[in-house]
Amino acid sequence: MSDSPQTSGTVPALAIEDLQLAYTVRGVPRGVLRGVTFHVEPGEAYGLVGESGCGKSTTAYAAMRYMPSNAVIQGGRVLADGQDVTAMSTQELQEFRMTKASMVYQDPVQAMNPALRIGVQVAECFRILGQSKIEAKDSARQALRRVKIADPERVLDRYPHELSGGMLQRVVIAMALAGDPKLLVLDEPTTGLDATVEAEVLDLVRDLRSETHAAILLIAHNLGVIRTMCDRVGVMYAGRVVEEGTVQEVFDNPSHPYTMGLLNSIPRHGVRKTDRSLFTIPGNLPLIGTDLPTCVYVDRCPLADDICRNEVPPIVDRSDGHWTRCHHADKIDQIKPPEHENNDFDIGTDTIVKLAAVSKTFRQRGNDVPALVSIDLGFKEGETLGLVGESGSGKSTLAKTLLGIHEPDQGGSIHLDGRLVKDKATDRRVESIRAFQMVFQNADSALNRMWTVRRILHRSVTKLAGIHGAEADKKVNDLAEAMRLSQRHLEMKPRQLSGGLKQRVAIARAFAGDPRIVVCDEPTSALDVSVQAAILNLLANLQNDERTSYLFITHDIGVVRYLSDRIAVMYLGRIMELGTTDQIFAGPNHPYTEALLSAVPSIDGDARPRIPLTGEIPSPANPPSGCVFHTRCHRVIMGLCDITDPDTIELADGHTSKCHLTAEQLSVPVTFTSATV
Amino acid sequence: MSEIDPALNSGNAASSSAAAGANERKLARKETWRLIRRRPSFIIGMTIALIWVVCALFGNLLAPFDPLNFRGDLNSSPTWSHPFGTDKGGRDVLSRVIAGARDVLKIAPIAAILGVIGGVILGMFMGYLRGWFDSVASRIVESFLSLPVVLLGLLAVTTLGNSNVVVIGVVATLFTPVVARTVRSAVLAESELDYVESAKLRGESTPFIMFREILPNVSGPIVVELTVRIGYAVFTVATLSFLGAGPPPPSPDWGSQVSDNYNSIVSGYWWSTFFPAMAIASLVIAVNLIADAVQSVVESS
Repeated sequence: MSDSPQTSGTVPALAIEDLQLAYTVRGVPRGVLRGVTFHVEPGEAYGLVGESGCGKSTTAYAAMRYMPSNAVIQGGRVLADGQDVTAMSTQELQEFRMTKASMVYQDPVQAMNPALRIGVQVAECFRILGQSKIEAKDSARQALRRVKIADPERVLDRYPHELSGGMLQRVVIAMALAGDPKLLVLDEPTTGLDATVEAEVLDLVRDLRSETHAAILLIAHNLGVIRTMCDRVGVMYAGRVVEEGTVQEVFDNPSHPYTMGLLNSIPRHGVRKTDRSLFTIPGNLPLIGTDLPTCVYVDRCPLADDICRNEVPPIVDRSDGHWTRCHHADKIDQIKPPEHENNDFDIGTDTIVKLAAVSKTFRQRGNDVPALVSIDLGFKEGETLGLVGESGSGKSTLAKTLLGIHEPDQGGSIHLDGRLVKDKATDRRVESIRAFQMVFQNADSALNRMWTVRRILHRSVTKLAGIHGAEADKKVNDLAEAMRLSQRHLEMKPRQLSGGLKQRVAIARAFAGDPRIVVCDEPTSALDVSVQAAILNLLANLQNDERTSYLFITHDIGVVRYLSDRIAVMYLGRIMELGTTDQIFAGPNHPYTEALLSAVPSIDGDARPRIPLTGEIPSPANPPSGCVFHTRCHRVIMGLCDITDPDTIELADGHTSKCHLTAEQLSVPVTFTSATV
Repeated sequence: MSEIDPALNSGNAASSSAAAGANERKLARKETWRLIRRRPSFIIGMTIALIWVVCALFGNLLAPFDPLNFRGDLNSSPTWSHPFGTDKGGRDVLSRVIAGARDVLKIAPIAAILGVIGGVILGMFMGYLRGWFDSVASRIVESFLSLPVVLLGLLAVTTLGNSNVVVIGVVATLFTPVVARTVRSAVLAESELDYVESAKLRGESTPFIMFREILPNVSGPIVVELTVRIGYAVFTVATLSFLGAGPPPPSPDWGSQVSDNYNSIVSGYWWSTFFPAMAIASLVIAVNLIADAVQSVVESS
């Protein structure tokens, strides 16, 4: 472990010992951390994983002693480099946060002061270390260079809102490194970022780690990120660490049923909806403050028996440094994947919805901003078309234009069953309105918070199915049952429901009529993996029963692979590549797809060599000449790509690519020298 | 196949659990009320306001003398029989202050309610429809707000005549643009939310989306606006009647009492001005205290 040169003997950079922490709510302490123990060696990267509410972030904040006023440490210690953080005076704590440890937060936008220039904020970090104004300014410039910002002068002069999320997170990291900390706590540092930007930030953290030898505590719900970044990992559940070991050991030989459940909920190893349903974890996390059973996971565990209910599980060593708190660690293999369900997923032969030459141009302060450029797409009955691309590539605009929320430009047309439909949803015939429905990304925003679930569903049933009275009541109950919502949930308002249940209501609403095509705009991105799995299973089953088509927008390559029959890759409002899921994942690919796929951190440890996407997505208001991707393309042919816009060519039957290169040329692997990265 | 919900298994008695859900909502409303009621500003404000409401309802029983026709010594200072003294016409100030509550409490809340209704409708259209309608209406609202309230009120009352109906109409009209602006900004933010888009995708009409979907979600700021407006209405009505544009004489309105008697202050007869003025102040403060309590509870939930 301690292979770093300047370690102070065997004193860990961070040691958390049996930490018990509670939040006082209305005078009653509610336990959140219930005996968390782990340590991070100097120079080591340690990951914490678990579903939301398991105490990951609370642990991270406790390590820095950033705690809300109602937090009470009820027991245990937090030792940073041998010093007890919980016992420090205010001054010692300030000193500690200034020079020994620092933190990078989830949302860089909230971590920065919007009213001050970047330069002022970065320089301030050096000013408090005692540097003069001029020295601090110079240090700020170097700090930005250290986080690989090419043009520090320009960035120092900007305000936070003028920078992209990825760039801002680099600045925050630069600020965190100002005092050369021995410990860097990263709380979901890449959660809000695109996969391509995430990959760049992670590369940066990895480089900085080998440069500074700082110990890293990384909190992430994305298991792929943990796998690629960390040496060891702790799996948290209900305020306790239930399994710990090296990432290879834990991810390849999970020994706690919870770890097993988490890993299996994620669509991986190329599993498809036609292969099997996804694993789910039944039940919910115990509420904070409730008394925990002897084994914290007993209520959701498929292996639970009497001993689990009566005895606290001991620490069972699996291999060197890999342990689990489970009575049945050796029976873990008995947890079987869901049985193969005979899902046929019949895809019809007729194209039910067809977009021809659909463009959408927004007018912004007198400028034309082409958000969609001549999109041709067809949907077959019961087919899922996955839509991927970075933020700003036009995925949502395409969805909203299809639905009639945005009016497409003149010249394009949308057909339903061979009949032209009106551009605006409000002008459409009842049948067309019923045919197009949507499941939104954020169920909080998509459900009227003053309406009960019953009213939401009832209104949708009357409008979309055209039935009233007792018949409508019955339909509402049937719908709720199909979505596995109980009668009790029907009388609740959205805020009383969990994220997964809210998304079920939203799906029920979309299916109230008899939709032909449902647009799913990242419906699971806000959900924990086990809940995501349940929602994906529900969507797959509904499709199988109702033969509905989906336009499925997502950032998650695993999810899109699981659910989609075909995949379209968008960039700057254009479809760059379109093919069946197998074709997309087998290649050859459009260079943009190639870069996108390589950016995904893999849970299985079999990452493809990464193809960096340099720079940011250009503004659609001012697209590059020739091929719009040529400015970031690793296969660019100058003199051709920057002048001529490529035609869409067929790479194989039903597999098209908007690129000058042929299938043979695209099959030649590209190699990168480290200089280009 | 999915997250098994414990509630699913227990939810077999449909009707009883439905009642439980409705009960939960009633509890939430009760909780809001409880929070408002617990605030000291609400208790004090409500006590003062209730005293004036009692005066307004039972003024003729409570007043020791006839507020209009009793004639005693002119400008007699407060005594046991006339605790607030008598005014320059020899009328009992206490009786007139008690009777004056009726006019104010009749006019101000009605004017405020009408103003809020007008403002909600206008603001809802501005915030939801946007576009040219919002641009035009916003400019009109702004030009209205730039004019002095009292001047507009005086102008309207002198042209239209002096009656309670006119005063109510004037105050309501003056409040409409102010309320509209508040409602507009709330609606602007609200109509960005996806449930509005979802309603469009179901083919809902524009009025349905505005008044059934969005309106309940902006009811918080509207309730706050209403309580604040009642306070302003009391003050505006008193100001108008002080300037002679209030309810017509011989009503014992507080504002006209102040204006009738204020020039006798220099002669040392302060009571005939002081007590009606205090009545106005106490009611305005009381309503503002209530508004404050409502606002802090509504905004924190």
